[in-house]
Amino acid sequence: MAEPVLEVGGLVKHYPLTQGVLFRKQVGAVRAVDGVDFTLLKGETLGIVGESGCGKSTLARLLVQLERPTQGTIRYRGEDITGLSGRALKAVRRDIQMVFQDPYTSLNPRMTVGDIVGEPYEIHPEAAPKGDRRRRVRELLEVVGLNPEHVNRYPHQFSGGQRQRIGIARGLALRPGIIVADEPVSALDVSVQAQVINLMERLQDEFDLSYVFIAHDLSVVRHISDRVGVMYLGKIVEIGTETEIYDHPTHPYTQALLSAVPVPDPEAREHRDRIILSGDVPSPTDIPSGCRFRTRCWKARERCALEVPPLAVPEEFRTATGPAAHDSACHFAEERRVVPPEQSAG
Amino acid sequence: MLLEVRDLHVEFRTRDGVAHAVNGVDYSVAAGQTLAVLGESGSGKSVTAQAIMGILDMPPGRITGGEVLFHGRDLLKLKEEERRKIRGAGMAMIFQDALSALNPVLTVGDQLGEMFTVHRGTSRKEARARAIELMDRVRIPAAAQRVRDYPHQFSGGMRQRIMIAMALALEPSLIIADEPTTALDVTVQAQVMDLLAELQREYDMGLVLITHDLGVVADVADRIAVMYAGRIIETAPVHDIYKAPAHPYTRGLLESVPRLDQKGQELYAIKGLPPSLLDIPSGCAFHPRCPMARDVCRTDVPPLYEVPGDRRSACHFWRECLDG
Amino acid sequence: MPEPQQPERPEQPQQPQQPERPEQPRPPERPYVPGGDHAAVDGAVAATGIGGAMAFAVDEGKPLGQQPAPDGTGQEEARSLWSDAWRDLRRNPVFLLSALVILFLVVIAIWPSLIASGNPLHCELAKAQDGAESGHPFGYNGQGCDVYTRTVHGARTSVTVGICATLGVALLGSVLGGLAGFFGGAWDAVLSRITDIFFAIPVVLGGLVLLSVITSNTVWPVIGFIVLLGWPQISRIARGSVITAKQHDYVQAARALGASPARILLRHIAPNAVAPVIVVATIALGTYIALEATLSFLGVGLKPPSVSWGIDISAAAPYIRNAPHALLWPSAALAVTVLAFIMLGDAVRDALDPKLR
Repeated sequence: MAEPVLEVGGLVKHYPLTQGVLFRKQVGAVRAVDGVDFTLLKGETLGIVGESGCGKSTLARLLVQLERPTQGTIRYRGEDITGLSGRALKAVRRDIQMVFQDPYTSLNPRMTVGDIVGEPYEIHPEAAPKGDRRRRVRELLEVVGLNPEHVNRYPHQFSGGQRQRIGIARGLALRPGIIVADEPVSALDVSVQAQVINLMERLQDEFDLSYVFIAHDLSVVRHISDRVGVMYLGKIVEIGTETEIYDHPTHPYTQALLSAVPVPDPEAREHRDRIILSGDVPSPTDIPSGCRFRTRCWKARERCALEVPPLAVPEEFRTATGPAAHDSACHFAEERRVVPPEQSAG
Repeated sequence: MLLEVRDLHVEFRTRDGVAHAVNGVDYSVAAGQTLAVLGESGSGKSVTAQAIMGILDMPPGRITGGEVLFHGRDLLKLKEEERRKIRGAGMAMIFQDALSALNPVLTVGDQLGEMFTVHRGTSRKEARARAIELMDRVRIPAAAQRVRDYPHQFSGGMRQRIMIAMALALEPSLIIADEPTTALDVTVQAQVMDLLAELQREYDMGLVLITHDLGVVADVADRIAVMYAGRIIETAPVHDIYKAPAHPYTRGLLESVPRLDQKGQELYAIKGLPPSLLDIPSGCAFHPRCPMARDVCRTDVPPLYEVPGDRRSACHFWRECLDG
Repeated sequence: MPEPQQPERPEQPQQPQQPERPEQPRPPERPYVPGGDHAAVDGAVAATGIGGAMAFAVDEGKPLGQQPAPDGTGQEEARSLWSDAWRDLRRNPVFLLSALVILFLVVIAIWPSLIASGNPLHCELAKAQDGAESGHPFGYNGQGCDVYTRTVHGARTSVTVGICATLGVALLGSVLGGLAGFFGGAWDAVLSRITDIFFAIPVVLGGLVLLSVITSNTVWPVIGFIVLLGWPQISRIARGSVITAKQHDYVQAARALGASPARILLRHIAPNAVAPVIVVATIALGTYIALEATLSFLGVGLKPPSVSWGIDISAAAPYIRNAPHALLWPSAALAVTVLAFIMLGDAVRDALDPKLR
């Protein structure tokens, strides 16, 4: 088994809600991330899926130290990095980089591509000697499939997919071990999306990267991930290998989410097991007691309002060894296959 | 036929030249039918819809040719005033971003009621009652209380329901939905699509569903029209097109989508980028990206060939493509 | 901004009934150039934006990266926003014209005797309000002084007031507003209240009170007063555009790379926030020259032995029916100056926007 590179324990991020002009009084909190635990192994891709507002983007920002957690720890190669500042923080940043969602705002429109991709070297001069930087920038552009002659162009001269490649080149410049990608392909067209996904997979092998791949598109996440965590209202409700989650889901939310994904196969539409959830996601300022999914769950009973289900292998499966035995935060977990098994290849 | 678009051409004047956004689009929708118009950004699918609705910004846009027959009447020949009467009462549109399509300073009740006071001359009180009825129809809980709320007080899914209610208000015979669920989460998306399909059956409306999502299309459409560089390049009943596409672009799209039911190897990726509308390639617009392209594709624009089974394909080699 | 709050923001600017048009042609962004044929990555390699093609076409025929240097250092010059902006400006006729006008103004402000040998204080009452005559192309004003000489000599005061006040206001305003917008928090709140207080001071009344206690007859008290009252305007604009620029993902990307606040502010935020400041500052320049005139007219600015366009314009106003030329020439000089600076500002702003190249 590969060694863990990132261990996240009890990670919490609350944004206080205040009232009053002069004397601010805290009246509540947005519980964006509310107790997240996971481990990222070297060389693997951990997919995080969830709907908007589930806290997955905040989680990404916590992982790359753009936000400080309210509680909890992030350990990078065994060392706690949550409290770091100054030089130590800067050193860690070299190893954990981010790829952003929107290729139109994540590149400074007034910098040339060469400056954008070369900026990491200016911030970390020790990473590359000055005379060598230009060559490295051209190399990086080539690696992500762009023409190195284009270093003097500006971002607006590129299409969305090409810009995302520039963003990836910038993320790669310091040779990080971990890349946190927040919805890296959701702004791209289908045909271009496939190019960028393939590129990310190729780079993973080439540079021995570990990915945390955050997205709302379940099909994309399945394609790229080794393991998948499903987030709901700031917490991971189910986590396991890609097969465990997609073919043997035990948490009702995961099942509902998977059953709602439209499958590009008109034959499937008659005999699909669709679970339509009622209502909307509750506000993260007012999270239901007990199990946070109970307000939309068709299985909810009294116990769900009282006890918070832990993220562990449910009792029913504790003795089992099959793929249903994986961590799932539900008191009444049971396996239900909602994605029809593949009928014909291609 | 409820709606027939024939050889529609739209262009935009830009700083860098004339952009040919729509280059001869033909499609038709019957009552009770759902036509999905599938395409990537820049394929002209939304511009076509705007031209049909008559809400295209002109200038910079310009309709340079074609007909839009609605109940047999050519809308492009009508005066603006007559078209305005058709909008809302005859055909209505649902937009992607409900938050910006609704007026933030009016309550949803006022906005729904306005449809009745303006088009039908109903009294304010009656209009309010009709608004509540509509909100019930699209299953907004506690409609009677929420009618006084402002758009931002609703969640994304609820706002999209309000948009649907607004489109349905005057019981039009055609609805054009432009990416109606793209901004929504999957669980909410399923609710909204189900609602839309149900209401369509109930009112026996024609529905033009504009989307880039192959999954949504497979779920609800009867027919599909695939657009590329401002043209329809393939149209077929929904089941056939997924089984055996008759155009290499459609085939490429279908193969480049990651699947939920299998962990794939490397994805098939259509090489290159969609063309600039300022400079559409000669011959078949897809030829620079096409794995099957030959000399004739560079020189001759393929017509929409008739393909057996009520299908059409704008590929010189549709037979080969169909055979795989 | 915590992520979950975003859908609930009522104050987002919205345009009712205006659907988003994601489909309208975005020409420079969807480029295509045939010729790439290596699977998966080729289009990205080969594609040349329309804008890109043009940028390269006008690129002085330098062999840009024609032969990638084997040693990796490359002979090709790495370009930056500023060098590109300068290259762009040098070829912009609007910029060249306005720069020439401004250069001319600066030269005559320093050495007015180059083109006007007369004494601006020499007046012959007998010729009061006379029209143009040989040697006196602009005629005489109400006091019988030569309008040409006075207009040329007035440039010094007016141009000094205009340039210095604008520079002072722009520097002070954008530094204070920019820092407040960038760091936010308590300082931002305090600064915003202070700007509100300054906005409440009526300019003319404030000038009458503050400048009446000063006896010096130079332009500096006037400039100081204008800067004192003018900076809040720029500060408010700078603060707003810094806050807008700060929210972009590229700022987050720089932070994630470990960039220092100074680097983020100077390299990422300032170039993207400077445009509105330039526009407002260059338009304000004209009003500052006029403000000096107003203050002089009220007797608290410069006193009559000094010469300025403002003094001459206000002095000529009563004779507008009989001697319009006395009003026309200094006003025209003022208008040309203001126009030149506004054009310069526009050209600089455009040059700093790569999308317009």
